[in-house]
Amino acid sequence: MCAATGPNVTRLVGQSMPSLEAPDKAAGRIEYMADLTVPNMAHAKVVRSPLPHARIVSIDASEARAMPGVVCVLTRDEVRADPEVEEVYGFVYRDAPLVAMDKVRHQGDIVAVVVADDVDTAEAAAELVDVEYEELPAVMNVPQALAEGAVQVHEEFFPIAPELRPIEGTNVCHHATIGCGDVEQGFAESDFVYEDEFLAPPVQHCALDLHAVISQVEDGQITVWTNCQSPFPLGRELERIFKMPARVIIPYVGGGFGSKSRDRIECVITAAAKLAGRPVRYILTQEETFMTFIRPAYRNRMRTGVKRDGTIVARHNEFWVDVGGYAISGARSANNTLKVATGPYRIPNARVDCYAVYTNKPPSSPYRGLPTTQHTMSYEAQFDRIARDLGIDRLELRRRNLVRDGDIHITGDYLRSAHSHECLEQATEAIGWNEPLPVDPEGKKLRGRGVSCTIKYTLTPAREMSENSAEVALVEDGVFEVRIGTVNIGQGSDTVMAQIAGDALSVGLESVRIVHSDTYRVPVDSSTTASRSTYHMGRAVVEATDNLKPQMLEAASQLLEREAASLVFTPEGIAQADGSANVTYGELVERVGSPLAATGDCVVGGMYAGPDGKSYPIASTFWTFASCAAEVEVDTETGTVRVVKAAASATTGTAVNPHSIETQLEGGIGQEIGPTLFEQLVWDDGGQLINAALLDYPLPTMETMPEYAPRFVDHPFEGGPFGAKGMGEIGSVVVPGAVVNAVYDATGVLFHEVPLTPHKIIEGLEGQR
Amino acid sequence: MNVTLTVNGETLSLDVPPSTTLLDLLRDRLSLHGTKEYCHSGVCGACTVLADGKAVSSCSMLAGQVEGADVLTIEGLTPDEGLHPIQQAFVDNFGLQCGYCTPGMILLAKALLDENPAPTREEIIRYMGGNICRCTGYAGILRSVEAAVKERGSWS
Repeated sequence: MCAATGPNVTRLVGQSMPSLEAPDKAAGRIEYMADLTVPNMAHAKVVRSPLPHARIVSIDASEARAMPGVVCVLTRDEVRADPEVEEVYGFVYRDAPLVAMDKVRHQGDIVAVVVADDVDTAEAAAELVDVEYEELPAVMNVPQALAEGAVQVHEEFFPIAPELRPIEGTNVCHHATIGCGDVEQGFAESDFVYEDEFLAPPVQHCALDLHAVISQVEDGQITVWTNCQSPFPLGRELERIFKMPARVIIPYVGGGFGSKSRDRIECVITAAAKLAGRPVRYILTQEETFMTFIRPAYRNRMRTGVKRDGTIVARHNEFWVDVGGYAISGARSANNTLKVATGPYRIPNARVDCYAVYTNKPPSSPYRGLPTTQHTMSYEAQFDRIARDLGIDRLELRRRNLVRDGDIHITGDYLRSAHSHECLEQATEAIGWNEPLPVDPEGKKLRGRGVSCTIKYTLTPAREMSENSAEVALVEDGVFEVRIGTVNIGQGSDTVMAQIAGDALSVGLESVRIVHSDTYRVPVDSSTTASRSTYHMGRAVVEATDNLKPQMLEAASQLLEREAASLVFTPEGIAQADGSANVTYGELVERVGSPLAATGDCVVGGMYAGPDGKSYPIASTFWTFASCAAEVEVDTETGTVRVVKAAASATTGTAVNPHSIETQLEGGIGQEIGPTLFEQLVWDDGGQLINAALLDYPLPTMETMPEYAPRFVDHPFEGGPFGAKGMGEIGSVVVPGAVVNAVYDATGVLFHEVPLTPHKIIEGLEGQR
Repeated sequence: MNVTLTVNGETLSLDVPPSTTLLDLLRDRLSLHGTKEYCHSGVCGACTVLADGKAVSSCSMLAGQVEGADVLTIEGLTPDEGLHPIQQAFVDNFGLQCGYCTPGMILLAKALLDENPAPTREEIIRYMGGNICRCTGYAGILRSVEAAVKERGSWS
């Protein structure tokens, strides 16, 4: 049974309200990682590899250790000397050593950690650590890594996640396929076959709140404060590595966008803290964040077979993800791509081949909707080429192929809440698709419009299970404490959970208090990623309230000496239905003498019982559909592209906090304009990242902001808490496809690679002449 | 070296190493954590404070450069009770998400409105274009500043 739809009363759900913590944020009163200290804390500086690939010949830290104020230096020798410490960690691939053991695998790889009384001393001492390297050939991109005779970044493979399949003797750490129908026969039946290759750049997330950690190892107990997005998996990994209990505490987090989704500094700083015998704090610099986790480069080859009327018959999609030097999390992102690579279209014959490839770049991590973003750009850009070639209207071509409820996806999922057509209509209408485009009298600036459609998954277990719980407790002051593992990273999760809890309990916001993300104070949660929290944690919260209510009724029944069945919940407490007796929540807990508490789970996965009586796999607990429509202006003299208007429409299920949804969509669009138009990490021939400093790495500003038109399709989603789905990433996912197509519309040139830098635009326009 | 300056109305005389930035002085010496750090190169604006009414990147100013200056941080802008009207406008208009850039954005908006009580949308965009926000796409920030401009007559 799905308890999650909850009661029909909704007073808080559906209301737009600023986040609960907004006043404290506006006042600068919220504490982020860099604002936290613990007594007797020492400070760490990491010694990093200057080379992308090298064998470590020797490490001499004696001078650094001798420096006054230095507490200790952690190198491979100290790690090896501690029999109680596991050397290697990793979430889906156990391939990352705490510090480099035999070799370094990317520029910025962690070689040693210097711990000192203050940051300046740690920095100065880090300069004194003498590391001798024997440089190895580096593979800096996928073609190099796949070349005949290429050096292997890892000689052995250690996948943890069962779905990962490396190809021995190569740099491919994961190859997987998915398919339906008979793709070769599909191509044979097609009237036309189109083949394209698309490239998307590596970029960094640039979350302003620098990734940081404080680790304390005391009396056989680890306590870690960090702004990571996955506190529970991190705690389990710490317990495995150090063989002692670990508590992970997450303060408010100033953005992550995927860069903080997996461990890269917490385990090594814990090793340093254990060695130091003191709490150790480490805050990455902005430049170091660029060498810690990045969004990977994507190469995407697509063959699509269509009938003369534009009906898709077959699609083969091969893509290569550059996971960098460690596949800690990148290999799983690549695998998830299988679910979305063919898009929100009915395709009877399809095959997808995914290759995750080790290189000597920094490790890759998720990035707000990755990998759906890159695939959406590819299939949408190719779709516009097909439309133009066949002389079919771009919107009409999509309408002919978009999925509808009841269609079977490539994963075998029975699609529900597939309002893809509505999203397309909403987004195009929002930017005035059919209105005439302004014309530059001088003919130098060209305008155009483009559209994109997508389907996106959320993280879903391979079998039926709960990956998160919530606890709701009626505590001393008559307030309901909602204890959740969801990390408040700026997405408004506390507010959404308070709205859901308030309505589930029929109380106002003043009676709800959120306690978040401390692994010793809240029940388990898998992660705050993949737009999963509103749905998954929301359901767990509703179930916890459902489990708490009988306890409260029982207690009230005894106190009031009334039948439990005759009592009702009111915003203030529990009352006899006829009004003859009542007890407030404060009195109830006071008279019971201890808090009343209950937990709830969110069981997902397994099989879906379709309305046709058949049973279907669930590759994604919910699918999100979305469209973006964009209008651009291309300056043919300077090559500059400006996104003038951008509308995004997404299927959100019930909108718990409508204006918050709109601002999430605006934020997603605004962020993705960077990698679409100008953001790109660049390495020189020697494998050195040349634009790790923000001075050399432009980000979107208020001046690059388009006129936004955020929209949503809010039909309640069966099973979601009050009918809600998640949506934090969907705004960004649809941007590059729509912008590339708008530039195609404006200029007649279809660009196969983003970012659309002025250089590329001018070159493309010249190629056309 | 010794530096004398006014921070949030209080005149202070401090001994600091010459390499101390205004940001370090505020955060580490005075524990005014509302001023944030990201790029440490004067690009992102997270560390924006007002010095003699002008918005500056505190990470890029040495303490010696603010000798005698009157510095206002987010803590100084925030009244004892409630919020300053610009802060309230950011809350009401969803001008923040993670909140990390927010103190800098609000102080930048304060400098703008002190200089130009009735800026046009274009003037706001040009003035605010220097500070980075990664969450909002800037739409909520623009709405907040425009709302604060509208309310400008009602506060001093």
